[in-house]
Amino acid sequence: MAGFSELIKNFDKTRDYVRDFFIYGCKVRSDFDRKSVRTYGDEKRRVESWMGDCMRYDDSVRGRSVSISVNSSNIPENPLYNAYYSKSFTDNDIRLHFFLTDILHDARSRSLKELVDTLNTDYSQLFDEQTVRNKLKEYVDEGIIISGKQGKTMYYSLSGDSADGFIRDFPGLDDALEFFSEAQHFGIIGNSILKMLGLRNELFFFKHNYIIHTLEDVLIPEILKAMDGRCFIIFRTFSAKKLMTGADNTAETRAVPMKILVSVQTGRRYLAAYIPGQKRFTAFRLDCMNSVKTGDICEKYDELKESFDRNLSRCFGVSFGSRSENGTFPLIKIIFYADEKNERYIIERLEREKRCCTLERSGDNLYTLTADVFDPNELMHWVKTFIGRIVRIEGGPDTVKKRFRADIARMNRMYGGDEDEHIQ
Amino acid sequence: MNIFSEIYGTYFRIAAKLLENEVTDEKTVRETVQREGFRDSVLFLPQKLIPGSEDWGLFSRGADGKLRRITKNAPVRVLTKLQKMWLRAKLSDPRIRLFMDGEALVRLDERLADVTPLYKKEQFGFTDRFSDSDDYSSEDYIRNFRTALEAVRHRRIVFIEFVSGHGKHMSGKFVLLKLEYSPKNDKFRAYCYLLRNDRIKSSGVINIGRITSIVDTGRTFRTPVSVDGYFLSRKCSSPALIRVTTERNGVERFMLEFASYEKHTVRDLATGEYKVEIWYDEQDETELLIQLLSFGPVIEILGPAHLREQAKMRVKRQAELLAENGDDENADGA
Repeated sequence: MAGFSELIKNFDKTRDYVRDFFIYGCKVRSDFDRKSVRTYGDEKRRVESWMGDCMRYDDSVRGRSVSISVNSSNIPENPLYNAYYSKSFTDNDIRLHFFLTDILHDARSRSLKELVDTLNTDYSQLFDEQTVRNKLKEYVDEGIIISGKQGKTMYYSLSGDSADGFIRDFPGLDDALEFFSEAQHFGIIGNSILKMLGLRNELFFFKHNYIIHTLEDVLIPEILKAMDGRCFIIFRTFSAKKLMTGADNTAETRAVPMKILVSVQTGRRYLAAYIPGQKRFTAFRLDCMNSVKTGDICEKYDELKESFDRNLSRCFGVSFGSRSENGTFPLIKIIFYADEKNERYIIERLEREKRCCTLERSGDNLYTLTADVFDPNELMHWVKTFIGRIVRIEGGPDTVKKRFRADIARMNRMYGGDEDEHIQ
Repeated sequence: MNIFSEIYGTYFRIAAKLLENEVTDEKTVRETVQREGFRDSVLFLPQKLIPGSEDWGLFSRGADGKLRRITKNAPVRVLTKLQKMWLRAKLSDPRIRLFMDGEALVRLDERLADVTPLYKKEQFGFTDRFSDSDDYSSEDYIRNFRTALEAVRHRRIVFIEFVSGHGKHMSGKFVLLKLEYSPKNDKFRAYCYLLRNDRIKSSGVINIGRITSIVDTGRTFRTPVSVDGYFLSRKCSSPALIRVTTERNGVERFMLEFASYEKHTVRDLATGEYKVEIWYDEQDETELLIQLLSFGPVIEILGPAHLREQAKMRVKRQAELLAENGDDENADGA
């Protein structure tokens, strides 16, 4: 595998592979037809290198499949953070990083010419002024170096905000870093501080932890920037289902970003946005999105945001429903059975999980949940966690009730009586 | 300004670590790369650090064969603007009070006054988080949390009084292994061992929010305990075996939702269906069961037998409820 590098330029490509290894977990090389054999081999090798013991290999007649098998509740650090720590760079990048920060170590500010001369005389490094100027500008943007004019000349000095100083000056910050480095949002940034300090999370584990979310973090700052600036964004989306066919199925979308919606139960995160062409709000999966760019200012941003907040209160999850159905059906009511004496925990569950719905006692051991939501289908996924207790469904679209009854009938046959052939 | 930048990268970090000492040697370079790098870094990185035809020029070789850094000082560890923006955003997170006192938070806020927060809380929303989250503003909660955190850090034996999930008042001496946070529940819990006569009696989990009193006994639990052993003792004896069909985008939905579990997947080429083995904590069996049932007929629990039986009972009861209430007249089984 000549020419292999552990470092990567293109984060999007890596996102695709990690997702396939991690989510599906049973694909062999031939399933990755959309990519060259070389690309597959390189990406696989990188992911293996990051994931270590979490990789699993299975041989079948189709070939060897590679997957990531990890109980993310029992790991102190998200192994996928390594994807962020693999950015490629040039020899000059690393030389200038260490030499410039070394020259500026004494807190004295210096001009570009002084820096170039010192690189030459003290470090035997010949750099032209333009190269050094570019690096200084980059580091000023990163906040590592501070610039300021003295007369007509720009002077540069090192930022005084050292990570060690922050840990020393602010008791408890180290523990906070251990926690927030694995928690949402942008745990990767906290982890980068921990790593800089040579520390690691030894105190916390995280349950219901979707480690793959971190790969979407690369998109979110640009979305937040557009929200702050009340701007449109332009991005590309692709269908996760079609991705496997190898077809180019990406589409460009122009939208007004409203909010990042996080589902802590389904493993998905979304961008909720307004689509001017359709005059409606929609949620886009972040894991099926790339190439986010900020566009023009949206003059109606505040008005749209107000409308969005009103609409969001009628979303059970992230669906704003179908335009043709909205307002065409009566409120859906679900009546649950719970033994009030011995099953208080069921009533407590309903209370804490009901989200935007209302719950009231409607009889002995009966509780009615009323949902004024755009998309009752979304509600039903959750309602089915109460299978065995759903006494009746009233209102809502007929299709929803019909599907529920059909599902229960099918499940009853699937698990039922003497026909039960699958039992182990 | 992007987190995907070489300045946070593993290669830069390893170079910085080696540059902390004025003098080093090839063995240390290779060992550091092996320990701190990616699995294959030892094939690529040492030759960039050790003087030779490919190196970056960060070290020179002395007459004694040792490597001397070219730089005059140990590298400074400057926080970048992005890292400070992230810290500033965390100041608005109520959970930070679990770790830092008000006075330290005020000073940190002042120190970061000219930094824009990376995000605002209202720019994110959790769609399906449970509503009974822990009360991070409660002084009692903060005190209990900190005592538990110290107990984890120093493996102290603590005496805890708490109310169980069933409402029973319980107490005992415990050793705490780790604190767990769940974004779904927005709660902290402690993985623990119950002690009797200073010996481990059983493993358990205590919600920090249910603790009414936690007191450090001043003693350390010196018997070696492994976190892996703790989890192993709670792991199911046989995994749940699930058949996942392609209906309603079932495979994709299922794989994403259960991504946080340790699992093994096999695809049936003829049908396109998947069979997935899922390993779980036995205490979480009901949570797993209801999560599986929410997929309806798109998936089928094949085993183990007791899990399938529980599913069967619930489904049977549900079918009866619909029949009793006359709601099954349109059931077509389609």
